Amino acid sequence: MSDILKTFGLDLPKFIAQVIIVLLVYAILSKYAFGPVLAMLEARRRRIAEGESNLVAVKAEMDRAEERVREMLAKANADAERLIAEARDSAEAVRVQKSQEAIKEAQQILEKAREASRLEHESAMNELKRDFGRLVIDATSKVTGKVLDDKDQKRINDEAFGQVAL
Amino acid sequence: MFMTDSLLPMLAAGGIGAPSLLESDWFTNSIFVAIVVTSAILLFTRMATKRMELIPDGKQNFVELVIEFLYGQVEGIVGKHVAPKAFPLLATIFIFILASNWFGLIPGVGTIGFGEKSTPMSVHVDSAHVDAAGHATFVPLLRPATADLNMTLALAVVFMGVWVYLSIAELGVWGTILHIFGPKGGLQGMLKYLLMPIFIFVGLIEVLSIAFRPMSLSLRLFGNIFAGETLLHTMGELGEKLGLHGWAAFLTSVVFPLPFYFMELLVGVLQATVFSLLCAVYIKLATTHDEEAHR
Repeated sequence: MSDILKTFGLDLPKFIAQVIIVLLVYAILSKYAFGPVLAMLEARRRRIAEGESNLVAVKAEMDRAEERVREMLAKANADAERLIAEARDSAEAVRVQKSQEAIKEAQQILEKAREASRLEHESAMNELKRDFGRLVIDATSKVTGKVLDDKDQKRINDEAFGQVAL
Repeated sequence: MFMTDSLLPMLAAGGIGAPSLLESDWFTNSIFVAIVVTSAILLFTRMATKRMELIPDGKQNFVELVIEFLYGQVEGIVGKHVAPKAFPLLATIFIFILASNWFGLIPGVGTIGFGEKSTPMSVHVDSAHVDAAGHATFVPLLRPATADLNMTLALAVVFMGVWVYLSIAELGVWGTILHIFGPKGGLQGMLKYLLMPIFIFVGLIEVLSIAFRPMSLSLRLFGNIFAGETLLHTMGELGEKLGLHGWAAFLTSVVFPLPFYFMELLVGVLQATVFSLLCAVYIKLATTHDEEAHR
């Protein structure tokens, strides 16, 4: 057995020295390489996971905000449509009212014009009657040569007016 | 003309056993290389991890890439629960073996030394490396750490120590004994008791195989790396052995080993992978709870 060990170069002091080297590499790599690197990888993994969850939260928040904006827009649209409808109704009411007022005013103007025309016509007729009476009296007095008294003048006027009115 | 016995491969790195340097009992050329490799690994990882940033730079990025990859592989084999405990050892084994294997391919390793083939240096060679005539034989200054059975056995023994610790930590002493000798396959009732002798016998075989694991692990690694070194040396000196001289010998010493260098690069990775993969599988087998195994 010892010959086999010697052939392969196995020797206790050399073996122990190699064991110590292996243990040293194991201990130092564990402490200064694997530990920090695995911790860093874990930290990075956590950060990425946090980022991902934050991203999900942000996306959810954005979805909620978009939903709110959509709701607000819908509400604003509805309000606007309602206001437009109200304005349209109100304008229609005003238009109707104004139209009626205008028609009424026009009718009043027409009424007044018609009244003024009637009054002017009456006045013209009266003037005409007076002139006609005067002409009839003048003509009668010149034809008859007689000074007509008030009683004659009144009778002639009445007869003349009666004929003019016809 | 040349003698046929001169074609026999020259054993690399000064023979199967690593020669001691400086008249020391323990300081061999392979230990010297192990110290150099260890220092290089530690220096590089320290430089890479001294000021770690969340956004890594070149060295940190490389170390993180390697460690993350290895951790994924270990986790895939031993499971999420055991991976944090098993990973440091398995990663150490892989990185150290790979670095040692590839270090052996650096020109000068196994060829620069003292003794018959070179100018004697002011180092003392122990009696194991003196031939029958009392002349010192060639002793290389550098020998791949994994081409020394002491180192590969040390790796295997350290692994077995951690393996025992992990097995007991995971299953407990009684659980480990049950795991080895207990009934398998979820047997219940009378059949379980009838088959107990078989399970105990299988357990004894299992114990025997466990006892041989350090030797199988270490001899496999040592054999492959030492054979690779020997192959490269043989190819390097083939021209001289064939009677070539001068530039022809120089040219053949470059051309002949070249294909084998690429093969040894592959063997270096392969052997590191095989060693650490087997270790991971051993841990997995020992730390798997029976109820999990039977699912």
